[in-house]
Amino acid sequence: MKSIGVALLFCLILVGCATTSLPPVTQEFRFEEDEKRLWLRSEEEQKVIDRSGIIYRDQELEAYLNEVANKLQPAEVLTHISFKVIIIKNHLLNAFIYPNGVLCVHTGILAKMDNEAQLATLLAHEMTHATHRHLLKQFRDVKNKTAFLSTVMVTLGGVGGGMGDLATLIGALGTLASVTGYSRELETEADTHGLKLMEKAGYHLEEAPKLFLHLKKEIEEEKKREPFFFGSHPRLQDRVENYENLLKTQYKDKRAGIKNSELYLEKIHRVILDNSRLDLKVGRFKIAQRGVQKYLAIKPNDPKAYCLLADIYKQKAEKGDLEKAKEHYQKAISIDSSYPDAYKGIGLILYKQGEKELAKKSLERYLSLSPQAMDKAYIEEYIKQCYGGEKP
Amino acid sequence: MKRLLWIVLIFLVGCAPWTRVGGLYKSESHNFSVDLPQGWMRWSLGKNLLITRDGLSLQYILIERMKIEDSLKHTKKKFSKDMLPQEAAEVILDNIASDQAVLDFRLIENQPVRIGGFSGFRTVYTYKNQDGLKIKSVYCGFIADKWFYGVNYNAAQRYYFDKDIKTFEKVLDSFKLIKTV
Repeated sequence: MKSIGVALLFCLILVGCATTSLPPVTQEFRFEEDEKRLWLRSEEEQKVIDRSGIIYRDQELEAYLNEVANKLQPAEVLTHISFKVIIIKNHLLNAFIYPNGVLCVHTGILAKMDNEAQLATLLAHEMTHATHRHLLKQFRDVKNKTAFLSTVMVTLGGVGGGMGDLATLIGALGTLASVTGYSRELETEADTHGLKLMEKAGYHLEEAPKLFLHLKKEIEEEKKREPFFFGSHPRLQDRVENYENLLKTQYKDKRAGIKNSELYLEKIHRVILDNSRLDLKVGRFKIAQRGVQKYLAIKPNDPKAYCLLADIYKQKAEKGDLEKAKEHYQKAISIDSSYPDAYKGIGLILYKQGEKELAKKSLERYLSLSPQAMDKAYIEEYIKQCYGGEKP
Repeated sequence: MKRLLWIVLIFLVGCAPWTRVGGLYKSESHNFSVDLPQGWMRWSLGKNLLITRDGLSLQYILIERMKIEDSLKHTKKKFSKDMLPQEAAEVILDNIASDQAVLDFRLIENQPVRIGGFSGFRTVYTYKNQDGLKIKSVYCGFIADKWFYGVNYNAAQRYYFDKDIKTFEKVLDSFKLIKTV
């Protein structure tokens, strides 16, 4: 009995003094006891995400992202950590990794990047948090683990932007990784090692700071602080400075490499448009508009995109916007004369402007092309008014 | 110390947040009247009318009013006086769908209706809450002068939604503005 007590005491001392200087994952990698628990907890948190309906399903895109991720890591690491990229339907700038290698990337951040080299920057940075066991290190730094995780959840419950709700969903570990990030030292290590991985994989290193400059510019324009690490201005400034310093010192002769701009944009074009829809829903008109314009540079003949651009102008409804909306609906019709939503959009503007004859024509065309439309009853009512009924 | 606890306890009992309702309910401050079902409980601390029978996580009816220029919680979009009911519905649906606590949002129905004599909308949708429970909801609304009025029935899809939908329809049918412009 006495020996059990001594053993317990010894274990407690060990846990209490568990070292934070852990080697990165290599061939000789050995699981620590508390690390196993973190992985199990990660799996539990991922199950909640899987069931939630927030995953953006696109098998081809997922395969591409996983291919880029795996290209960045040496085989010896991949035998221990099976990296898996998951896309989350969310317009905010965010990406985070669980210690077991499950990497969540929001559509918001994917849609903002220009090429594969920028994607590799983000993935390499996040993967380094997993390979260098940053969460475990951070966790060991804290004395009372349970209280710490509870505090993370409670504190974030009060953070704006709906983060409290999302925090409940992605769990304490996901929240820790995606909102607060890690200590400055560990983030710097992720920048440094991430850039090394990019170099080994042959990527254009100058794209690394460009990614973060890009995100920083967007946040400055929006003038709103996002709850996530990559949506935080000072954190992004740190990334830019770190990468620029590394390029000036350790990689000053490396001025070429893979960018794969066309391939990247081709792979993510659907995400760009879908994310613009999310931006429009939350009323981020300018960002939504920029997203659609980016999409149109890739797919210039897509009536869906012109129609979405028109919807943005119509809902923003500032001076001159309704005319621009009409032009874009017309453009959609000129590309595809059987695209129903464009007729509806133009018909509704004309209806509100009192152009009943023209409105009627457009709305009738909409219903003839989309006879089972969910909003059929509204449209029939407008048409009735155009024929001389009372204004609804 | 003991005395202070007693004072707090008496104060709390005096301000019971849930009160039993039933029959005609008039809100002069929000300018509407409505017939409430017997046996339901009303949350008396909020600014909107919120009633439930079995608990908020199982079912509730909410009647809310907001100024059309007021900001919504989850979208930057706003109502405007000249909006068509369909456009007002879009603003409300975008606000709901942009809520990070609303998962797997699916719109089932969206159509025009008359509410208390005003042209409005009726939407039906489902979503999952963060506990994975599937919720079905009916949201009806209209714009009158500088106000937006919303009448919402929210219930667990399984069993509870069907159980109280008729009660909600009666509440909705009885809804009237006290003064109209």
